[in-house]
Amino acid sequence: MALAPSSIEWALAVVFLPLAGALLCFLAPRRAAALGLTIAALTAASTLGLTLEVVVAGTQRTVLGGWGAPLGIVWLADGLSVTLMAMTAAVGVAVSVYAAAYFRDEHTERAFFWPLWLLLWTALNALFLSADLFNLYVTLELMGFAAASLTALGGSAAAVSGAIRYLLVSVLGSLFYLLGVALIYHACGTVDIALVAACIGDAPRPAVQAAVGVMFAGLMLKTALFPFHFWLPPAHGSAPAPVSAVLSALVVKASFYLLLRLWIDVLGGGGRWLAELLGLLGAAAVIWGSVLALRQERLKLLIAYSTVAQIGYFFMAFPLALAGDSAAWTGALYLALAHGLAKAAMFLTAGNLMRFGGHDRIAELDRAVHRLPLTLTAFTLAGVSIMGLPPSGGFIGKWLMLEAAFRQERFGLAVVMLLGGALAAAYVFKVVGHAFTPAVRSRRERKIPAAMEWSALLLAVVAILLGLTLPMIWPLLQIGGPAAALSAAGAATGAVA
Amino acid sequence: MTPPGYRQGDGRNAGGQAETAAGARARGQIPSWARASIALLLLALFGGLALAVLSLSSPAPGLSEAVAARIGESGVSHPVTAVLLNFRAYDTLLELVVLVVAMIGAWSVGTARGCGGDTPGPLLRHLPRLLAPLMVLAAGYLLWAGAHSPGGAFQAGSLLGGVGILLCLSGRPLPDGLLGWPLRLAAMLGVIVFAALGAGVAALPGGSPLGWPPDAAKALILSIELAAMLSIGFILAALFAGGRP
Repeated sequence: MALAPSSIEWALAVVFLPLAGALLCFLAPRRAAALGLTIAALTAASTLGLTLEVVVAGTQRTVLGGWGAPLGIVWLADGLSVTLMAMTAAVGVAVSVYAAAYFRDEHTERAFFWPLWLLLWTALNALFLSADLFNLYVTLELMGFAAASLTALGGSAAAVSGAIRYLLVSVLGSLFYLLGVALIYHACGTVDIALVAACIGDAPRPAVQAAVGVMFAGLMLKTALFPFHFWLPPAHGSAPAPVSAVLSALVVKASFYLLLRLWIDVLGGGGRWLAELLGLLGAAAVIWGSVLALRQERLKLLIAYSTVAQIGYFFMAFPLALAGDSAAWTGALYLALAHGLAKAAMFLTAGNLMRFGGHDRIAELDRAVHRLPLTLTAFTLAGVSIMGLPPSGGFIGKWLMLEAAFRQERFGLAVVMLLGGALAAAYVFKVVGHAFTPAVRSRRERKIPAAMEWSALLLAVVAILLGLTLPMIWPLLQIGGPAAALSAAGAATGAVA
Repeated sequence: MTPPGYRQGDGRNAGGQAETAAGARARGQIPSWARASIALLLLALFGGLALAVLSLSSPAPGLSEAVAARIGESGVSHPVTAVLLNFRAYDTLLELVVLVVAMIGAWSVGTARGCGGDTPGPLLRHLPRLLAPLMVLAAGYLLWAGAHSPGGAFQAGSLLGGVGILLCLSGRPLPDGLLGWPLRLAAMLGVIVFAALGAGVAALPGGSPLGWPPDAAKALILSIELAAMLSIGFILAALFAGGRP
């Protein structure tokens, strides 16, 4: 083996390392935390290695089994996939550090958190790497089962019923997706994304339309796009804090990523009606999610509804990108990255406040600012990114999308984006305001380990710094498939109605 | 159709409709307009899918020719096994991981309640003595047969899982000594062997992940299937028991 690992070895490591770590953690539950932290660090390092490889040498293909498409499966690491893997690694390391402290005294939870979380990481990286529609289905199932099991980890009745609902929705979404894959295989005789993209123009139109319809419906359900968001708040609101963080930050992004891949790489831009419908649902999600977030009395539910709203922004890029405006995609992806980091930070701070006061009722936060200054700073910084204030990553994403909306004179979408920002400011300040005012009753207090405060703060700081790294991330997003496709996406409008 | 307990003549007329609808919802009943619209929606979905399927050409383009052309290099002669364990081995590896996740997930929720509870009847007491060895034998045969005819690790593993369920039902639980890491290792053996060999062959000169060298393919596939069969059997029986030991 060469001294410097090749791209194949990096790609192998980002999937197989967390897998091996999960098995080890399950075999040795007493050492799970130490093993898990080590594996998390190694996986993040491998992700960095793969990312640098893509930056230096462009898109990396790994032919699994040496067969190649259409017979075998291919991994494809391009700018889009390594960017999402890098976000997963950043959130993953912070959540791992947090979880090591969070689950220190809970033996059962600790013994099962680590294998399930590392398996979830395996599934996420496998999903971001795969260039094969059927293999993507398998990774979706893996992700869904791991995520649902993690949701139930709290063991309370609310957590288990939220997890069961989540599991059913997740399986339904995957099966819809699988139905679409079956139709596409029947029409094209292949499930490799590049080969399907080449064939789909000549395939029978009703079959393609039905396939696109069911695949999008399934993935919208999994991404919790309004009105399919009903399962998200109970699942994300009742899971343990580190689990809520990865569910909101990473798992919904994975199915959105897959939607984007289908839209850009398979459909070459999709159709006008579908894009407008997705944009409309996205706009409705922004308003509905923000209003409901504002009305929540529990912090974790507020953060969960804020996720429903933020997901809406990603979908508003579909109509904006129709006119060939690749800045809209970059904006949506930037928002997705910033949301991943900021929302993970928010859920981690919610975990701190909940552990500290024994509850997460917003009205009784009781001067948390004096006792947990780092946690409150983290929450506020994450809130800055969620609101979209400069210089955060959320600001850049929203700015790019707003610019695209004004350029195309889509004032309706622009108004929704601005309104969503104002509502986000309202619900963030609602929490921060209560943290500054004394509550009537005094509460029991528990000490919060430093690791739990600092991991949340670091994530929030990274979400802010993301706003300053646009010159680095923009070119990264353009590497490989999306580069040509992002700009061609609009030009090919109407290829598939 | 009037569900039991449906309050038709409820006093307050003004709110009567909402009241009964809310009451129906509280009891987990779906109002009839919603049922009708769900039925219509499903009918439309079915109609659309039927149209889509009818629009497909037959015979459909597929990969059977590509599989047939390269099956000689796969180490096995049955096309399904060649696809599952060689051409698309990575899918199968992840499927095995899905089974492991299912088991860890079930274990994380609670402890096993045991299978039968009561003392087994005479049939259950004596039948496993007769059946279990035969089923193990049949599983071994299915595994071996998978190389050239229908069969393989999943079929053999389900049979082994059946043996486990039978033993559990007949009140023959696993000895306590095996309930710790040996059971966990057995459940994960398939993934461990599969992933270790898959990553190992990538280090061979000119190798790729999960790319079995044609000369060694048969031996590699057989050892993976053997380990996978054991794990599938253990996992299915563990899922039946319903929780961690």
